[in-house]
Amino acid sequence: MCLLRPKSPADQMIHRGSRPVEPAMLAHVATAAIPAFRPVLRRRPLRFKAMIGQPGPAELNALLAQVAATRDRAAFAALFAHFAPRIKSYLMRQGARPAQAEDLAQEAMLNLWRKAHLFDASKASAGTWLFTIARNLRIDALRREKRPELDAADFAPEPEPDPGDSMAMAKSEQRLRGALKILPPDQMRIVELSFFADKPHSQIAAELDIPLGTVKSRLRLAMSRLRAALGEMP
Amino acid sequence: MRHHPADDLLLAYATGTCDEAIGLVIATHLAFCAVCRQSVSLMEEIGGSLLEDLPPAPLAQTAFADTMARLENATPYARPVRTPSRDGTPEPLRSYLGGDLSAVRWRRMGPRLAYLPLFRRGGTRVKLLRGAPGTEVGGHSHRGMEFTLVLKGGFTDATGNYGPGDLQVADSSLSHSPVADAGEDCINLAVTTASLKFENFIQKIAGPLFGF
Repeated sequence: MCLLRPKSPADQMIHRGSRPVEPAMLAHVATAAIPAFRPVLRRRPLRFKAMIGQPGPAELNALLAQVAATRDRAAFAALFAHFAPRIKSYLMRQGARPAQAEDLAQEAMLNLWRKAHLFDASKASAGTWLFTIARNLRIDALRREKRPELDAADFAPEPEPDPGDSMAMAKSEQRLRGALKILPPDQMRIVELSFFADKPHSQIAAELDIPLGTVKSRLRLAMSRLRAALGEMP
Repeated sequence: MRHHPADDLLLAYATGTCDEAIGLVIATHLAFCAVCRQSVSLMEEIGGSLLEDLPPAPLAQTAFADTMARLENATPYARPVRTPSRDGTPEPLRSYLGGDLSAVRWRRMGPRLAYLPLFRRGGTRVKLLRGAPGTEVGGHSHRGMEFTLVLKGGFTDATGNYGPGDLQVADSSLSHSPVADAGEDCINLAVTTASLKFENFIQKIAGPLFGF
């Protein structure tokens, strides 16, 4: 299924801590695609900064809000430069061929464009929202199945969004990132493989040569640490 | 609710690793359970965080221009309009049933049991089961996995009592004789990855005919 699957599970470990930036990659997106929007970008220095550095969660939320409100193409370009290469990376780890991963990454960005008005910064970060979009596209394309999805309308009516909620969301995201960084390596390994290997836990256990029970207990431990870090009850 | 899916099952749903049948079971439990919904949200946040930390993969030179071309004809996404459920049957189950649980056209399997096959993928079968109060399903063990999610009523076996929203996961090590609780019909969503092994001679013969 996966032609480009890294040879050892260790290769599948993702970079942690500081994000590796590949200026060459960002540069070609910028030079190939951005010139048409440069006048707009010059008038809005915040966004230009977002293009060359790593936009933070608040900037990504603001860019998404701009796409939703005014179909702002410059904001979309900044989101594309940030997310499309990461979504491609995610899909390739999941077993997609490069051309297919590229096509699905574009599809995910098209979804972002069409669904930006549904994004709710009080419920999820932009990264989380894009993760769910990419995940669903992958299930659809690679497995030819659909994902059984809940309908939020089935639950109690949502309270009016409070601007403070997106602040709370950003804080909880920060706490989660901090907690992920200090997770014991053997637990982190299982969490990462769960997200990127596209294999059932029994197969992950077999490849790591540990009992399935150990995989499950590491997951349980990891989840209870992360829940505790976010102040949630187990 | 006392019987929740374990973290590895919730994670399989959050990461999209589980198949559609298990996904339907987990999603249906989530429709009953705010605690597990919160867990899945946390897992998706982890996914978002890991996505952000991935080393970016280089894109084709034309990737952005290609996407912009595709945007030209894109219309804003509109959520599907659904008629409200009359009996509170939640999504995604309702879409799989083609309507409300109370409107299901059951297939009888004797005087006290009824069923409705939903779909099949390879050896995995998804169906609804309905037993009148006090019905014994008959002692059986499992060749594969059996996931049973209670939608209405309840049942009891040696492992405990299961009510609406509760999930029982049985593997080849479990042999049980579930009995539907008194009061109302017990309706379950059941997924089996292989056929069951009945102890009773009649059921041994009848089971495969009904797809058990």
